[in-house]
Amino acid sequence: MNKPVVLLIEDEKPIRRFVRLALEEEGCQVTEADTLASGLLEAGLRKPDLLILDLGLPDGDGVDLIRDVRGWSDVPILILSARSQENDKIEALDAGADDYLTKPFSVGELRARVRALLRRMLRSGEGVSPIIEFGQVQVDLSRRLVSRGGEAVHLTPLEYRLLATLLGHPGKVMTQRNLLRDIWGPSYVESSHYLRVYVGHLRQKLEDDPTQPRHFLTETGVGYRFQP
Amino acid sequence: MESRLSPPERFRPWQRLLLTVLGCATTTLLATPLLDYLDLANIVMLFLLTVLLLAVSLGRGAAVLAAVLSVLFFDLFFVPPRFSLAVANAQYLVTFFVMLVTGLLTGQLAAGLRQSAREAHMREQRTQALYEVARQLAGALGIEQVTDITRQFVQHQFNSAVTILLKESPGTAASGGTMDSLFARMAQNSGRMIRSEEFTDSGCAALYLPIQASKRNLGILELASPPLELPEEAYALLEALASLVAIALERLHYVEVAQTTQLNMVGERLRSSILSALSHDLRTPLTALVGLAESLTLTKPPLPEPALESAQAIHEQAARMASLVGNLLDMARLNAGDIRLRREWQPLEEVIGASIKLLGNALARHPVRVSLPPDLPLLEFDAVLLERVFCNLLENGAKYAAEGTPLEVDARTWPDRVEVRVRDQGPGLPSLSQAELFNMFVQGESDAGKTGTGLGLAICRAILEAHGGSIEASNRPEGGACFSFTLPRGMPPVLEEEAV
Repeated sequence: MNKPVVLLIEDEKPIRRFVRLALEEEGCQVTEADTLASGLLEAGLRKPDLLILDLGLPDGDGVDLIRDVRGWSDVPILILSARSQENDKIEALDAGADDYLTKPFSVGELRARVRALLRRMLRSGEGVSPIIEFGQVQVDLSRRLVSRGGEAVHLTPLEYRLLATLLGHPGKVMTQRNLLRDIWGPSYVESSHYLRVYVGHLRQKLEDDPTQPRHFLTETGVGYRFQP
Repeated sequence: MESRLSPPERFRPWQRLLLTVLGCATTTLLATPLLDYLDLANIVMLFLLTVLLLAVSLGRGAAVLAAVLSVLFFDLFFVPPRFSLAVANAQYLVTFFVMLVTGLLTGQLAAGLRQSAREAHMREQRTQALYEVARQLAGALGIEQVTDITRQFVQHQFNSAVTILLKESPGTAASGGTMDSLFARMAQNSGRMIRSEEFTDSGCAALYLPIQASKRNLGILELASPPLELPEEAYALLEALASLVAIALERLHYVEVAQTTQLNMVGERLRSSILSALSHDLRTPLTALVGLAESLTLTKPPLPEPALESAQAIHEQAARMASLVGNLLDMARLNAGDIRLRREWQPLEEVIGASIKLLGNALARHPVRVSLPPDLPLLEFDAVLLERVFCNLLENGAKYAAEGTPLEVDARTWPDRVEVRVRDQGPGLPSLSQAELFNMFVQGESDAGKTGTGLGLAICRAILEAHGGSIEASNRPEGGACFSFTLPRGMPPVLEEEAV
């Protein structure tokens, strides 16, 4: 099998250096770009399997690049951002980015995220099974059945819709806005407490320890992530 | 200077009387040579004309006097027998009567007309003056200018000194003894005009007008010595003046508010752009440093033992540096003025879980036991900031408590707030006062070997105070530290029940 191609768009050379080292350890082939303009060009030329984008590039707004790329490709996009850029991060995720890392991040964390995104990319080609399993939970999407440790679990329609939406994007960070709009409708976009209460319900019913969840993870200030 | 409230009279009363007598005498003298050519009836006409003219030019009193004098002179000098009040033909009595009544009536009417014309003129002048003062006040750029314009107007119109006593700047309320300020307070409280002589007969006849803005009372307009007899319109004029002053002051107040807001906004934008530039410039090299050092420790084949240890040490120190810089930047942001909270209603449990997950390896040797009451209400807070609080408190506990001892998080609800406790089984807190403990850069005495900046607790306190809560620390009787903080409960939004 060919090596997966990763496009790294980052203006700081030292950061590019260690990210490249980490990616090569993962067996990736890395292409670098130091501006948004050249990054967009490379993305079109190389058709990468993963795109890593720093949000703080000097020559423009990274969110625009994400929208452009999403116009013609489903390539996973991983964002690098500083902690003070909450809003940029949310905007980027809303625009279609899949995941983010906050600077400074560890190499181990980076490799884990890259591995997960590439795995998802590869798996998306396979046939989809209607049965999803995680922890002790089994969900049959075709028959709308949820069981935990072999016992049926009752979910309300909204709880089930939330579960199905989260399961549909394993590993991806789903922003509050997107989840609220998809499940409750556009007029609920500002009523984030609905989402939080229902995620709480899912955790109560499906997690072993609802206070320290392992599958329905909170991305504080951003949204939620389903971790299989 | 003559007060301009009543119409200006060219002549004094005794001059007017004299002029009236002279006028009637002149008519008599002029008419005497005409006696041979004119009928007596036409001579009457001449006298009536005189009455009319005198009434128009000299007013009501002159008109009455002229009517009486005309009848007298006519009888004396023209009606035979001349130079006697006696009348030959009794018919002339009718003439006298008609002449007197006509003279009085026309005189009255003419004088009334003159009066109202003059009053109209005065009103117009006052309106003009008021308009002028309004125009000037509209352009006034400061309270001093408003005071000057008002002072000039009152001086001109009422010949009186005026003081503006403002509620908000006591500096301008220089004048006035205790009695005066009592009246001022009365006017202030009642919201209507007060005349001091209504209450005392001390002779001081000061006048107090409240300066009433749309929503509040701004102060008092004090006329030290207005003319004693003021016509009704004068009060209307003064009240109009007071409201013009109120509008001017209100406008100045809002201009000031707008300017201050603008300045604050510019300042805040500057601060936040400096902070984010600083944040970017500090984090970028640190990210590279941490990442590169970690890469060194992970190279394959591994580095020789001493080099690997050095690389690991560099990585650790760089990571420490990164967290220190993070804390400093957080503190700078929190101290840089009003923190803009992104408050949302959410369960506490979620942010606790996220904090534990975020700390990851730092809590590897300390199990965290979370016990929350099932009826814990939603709370309104900024999740990112509250996550900092939990991270700092849990990290603190993990740092000081012995390996393997659990950290406990629990919560209690009170009618108005929720109290959260984070407890450890470590050595407890040093005997620092609460204030010192939560101050910046303070650490326990035995901290030599521990890492940290002493900023963690200060950050916690700043965050909780921004939320309207508080934090305090104590030692548990059974050993270990207990940090307990509160968040206000407020009114959680209603959750529509799901239609099943």
